[in-house]
Amino acid sequence: MTPAAPILALEKVSRILAGRPVVRGLDLSLRRGEVLGLLGVNGAGKSTTLRMIAGVLAPSQGVVRIDGEDLHEQPGLARRRIGYLPEVPPLHAELTVEEYLDFCARLRALGRGAAAAVAQSIERCGLVDVRRRLIGALSKGFRQRVGLAQAVLHDPELIVLDEPASGLDPVQALRLREIVRGLGADHAVVLSTHVLPDVLACCDRVAILHEGELRHQGVLNATEGDIVLRVGVARAMTATDWRRVPIVVAAEPMDAPTEGRKWRLRLHAGASVPTLAAAIVEHGFGLEELRAEQAALEETFLAIASGGTVQAAA
Amino acid sequence: MSAALIARHEWRRFAAQPFAWTLAAVAVALMAWQFLLALQAFLALAPRLGGLKDAPGITDLVAIPLLRSFSNLLVLLVPLITMRAIAGERRTQSLPLLLAAGIGNARIVVGKYFGAFGYVLAILALIVAMPLALEFGTALDLGRIAAATLGLVLFASALTAIGILCSTWTSQPALAAASAFALSSLLAIIDAGARMQGVDNGGINYLAMPTHIEPFFRGLVASVDAIYFILITVVALALAAHRLDRLRSVAD
Repeated sequence: MTPAAPILALEKVSRILAGRPVVRGLDLSLRRGEVLGLLGVNGAGKSTTLRMIAGVLAPSQGVVRIDGEDLHEQPGLARRRIGYLPEVPPLHAELTVEEYLDFCARLRALGRGAAAAVAQSIERCGLVDVRRRLIGALSKGFRQRVGLAQAVLHDPELIVLDEPASGLDPVQALRLREIVRGLGADHAVVLSTHVLPDVLACCDRVAILHEGELRHQGVLNATEGDIVLRVGVARAMTATDWRRVPIVVAAEPMDAPTEGRKWRLRLHAGASVPTLAAAIVEHGFGLEELRAEQAALEETFLAIASGGTVQAAA
Repeated sequence: MSAALIARHEWRRFAAQPFAWTLAAVAVALMAWQFLLALQAFLALAPRLGGLKDAPGITDLVAIPLLRSFSNLLVLLVPLITMRAIAGERRTQSLPLLLAAGIGNARIVVGKYFGAFGYVLAILALIVAMPLALEFGTALDLGRIAAATLGLVLFASALTAIGILCSTWTSQPALAAASAFALSSLLAIIDAGARMQGVDNGGINYLAMPTHIEPFFRGLVASVDAIYFILITVVALALAAHRLDRLRSVAD
């Protein structure tokens, strides 16, 4: 079975701003159902890359393709197929949430379907209770959600999110991660951040940018000495269930609390991955996924941020 | 379609802003005060005018001066209305909403223009209604008032387009208003020196806005004057669209 064609493809994309190359020769692709985390320190070129993907900024060189079509040649593609949440949500503070989203829906040419799309987007982003409130009177978390609602209300194939959890408190950030994970199930999502837990919680793939160049891409492999693991099990689990496994120090759910099938586990120092795997099988949890990534990702990110280069993982 | 949508959205945003209501209230109050003063002066003068041959009427002494005075106020008022059009979007970083929606730059500019122009026209309608109310008690020269109103509409259109252009130059609305006021004022007084030298038919006179608005106040509708204002409108909007295109080429 051949994999689906990428919805997003960046081909040797470069961007020069004020005479300085901000993005250099970037190649990336993304398929439906994938969440790509774009990692990088401040000034790495993440926001510029996302602006080009969203059609707000034209590349100096290279091509951004949406489903094979050149976005710069056909800017109308952005209207229905791309949803974009910039770092600062593009809101109109003097309007209510409903009024604003209604405008956004019509801007995206939804026509008669606008009202239904607005209602669905409000529901999806948890804005039901504030739908008739002025945007200017909302908390930062809610404003971020309104920004997200405008990005997804036309059900685009590609959703581009620039630092969506920036400035949110931990509860709001967790709620936002859940929404992004939900979107990732049937959309292609590009998420920029410099917060590693956001990537770990939401993303299937990681691309690390540094000084405008793609320095690493893919899912990091486990490395020797990792003690934090990502585990997927068939059975719905609770944190109490994990306490029955002696080498597990802490267990944190990575999906919705009611599902309990994806976990981040911290092991005792010296514990090995095979030992954990054996324990999971022994307890009949139904092991489906087991990989160590946080330490490796963090190590890779820090190595790149400090000027090093890491070979792309498969 | 997109331009109309943006224009309607702009009207909704104006209606939701206390600033817009305050601006309209101040403009109407100022003009109403002038109107009442002019009316009182006319009533005091009317008995003496009765005996004169070809004496000026209420249109000459109340209606047209009021509309001429409003044209002066527009030079200050319009930049305050247009300053937020693009500059305000850039300041609040909400411009990407429009830029990422796959709408052409020209449509965004035209939508913003009609949004602001509609608001200016609403104020203009209130001002024109003042002298028209006298029609119930006296005979007005409606043709002349219509010509003056058409002149004001064209004049306001040019000022609005200049304001939109200036609003694309900066992310500071106050700076956008100041530059629009400066540019409009320049076009209003550019031939003042030439006129003082007795030149009133040169190229520099053609550039000045008063040269083209005054005939409308005298009741003369000439295509050359209308084309002048339409030309300013089109050129300013084209430059604004080009500037928006440049904004896509630089980080904003």
